[in-house]
Amino acid sequence: MQKDETLDCKGLMCPMPIVKLAKKMKEFPVGKVLEMISDDIGSKEDVPAWCKRTNNQLVEMKEDKGVFYYYIKRLV
Amino acid sequence: MVEKAKRLVIVVSEDKFDKAMMSMMMANTAASMGMEVHVFHTFFGLNLLKKGKVPKLGGMMRLFTGVFVGRMKAVGIENYPAQLAMALDLGVNIYACSTTMALMRITKENMVDGVKILGAAGFLDIAADGDISLFIG
Repeated sequence: MQKDETLDCKGLMCPMPIVKLAKKMKEFPVGKVLEMISDDIGSKEDVPAWCKRTNNQLVEMKEDKGVFYYYIKRLV
Repeated sequence: MVEKAKRLVIVVSEDKFDKAMMSMMMANTAASMGMEVHVFHTFFGLNLLKKGKVPKLGGMMRLFTGVFVGRMKAVGIENYPAQLAMALDLGVNIYACSTTMALMRITKENMVDGVKILGAAGFLDIAADGDISLFIG
């Protein structure tokens, strides 16, 4: 999956991954894809919800041994 | 067409550690999701807005506050003063109940910067158009 930058949120628990994601996306270029990594089980629902509410696109999501990889495209 | 932002309204009426953290964590999450957040502090909740206030757990649990703070810090969740500062930085609207201020003799100077003073009717006007209302107390 093509990505322009990575935001590593491993070790952070809800709501910190979302707070960090929002802060990062505020300055992130429109049209680019951010890879966000989290080992927080809550992120599984938190990240898609964040994308939905902020009108950004969750292009892809995958999991590997309890670590989640989210590919988020900034649309607005 | 951009959808109008959801409005979250929170009332905080107690000053213990768990209530304090819950209010700010919810507020910060909502603000991070693009919601418009309004947090009204009344009665003992007003203590949380005092400069340098570090809330403790209630009753006997008071002694275990440090344990919780430590565990939260280990997963990136900073203590209450930092959460409050973050909320103000994220544009969360923080209100102090004007009557409680008088009853508990708390002045604007006693409180952190950025707090707005509001009465019940002013608050209810905001809450009437709220999409989500939470009472933490």
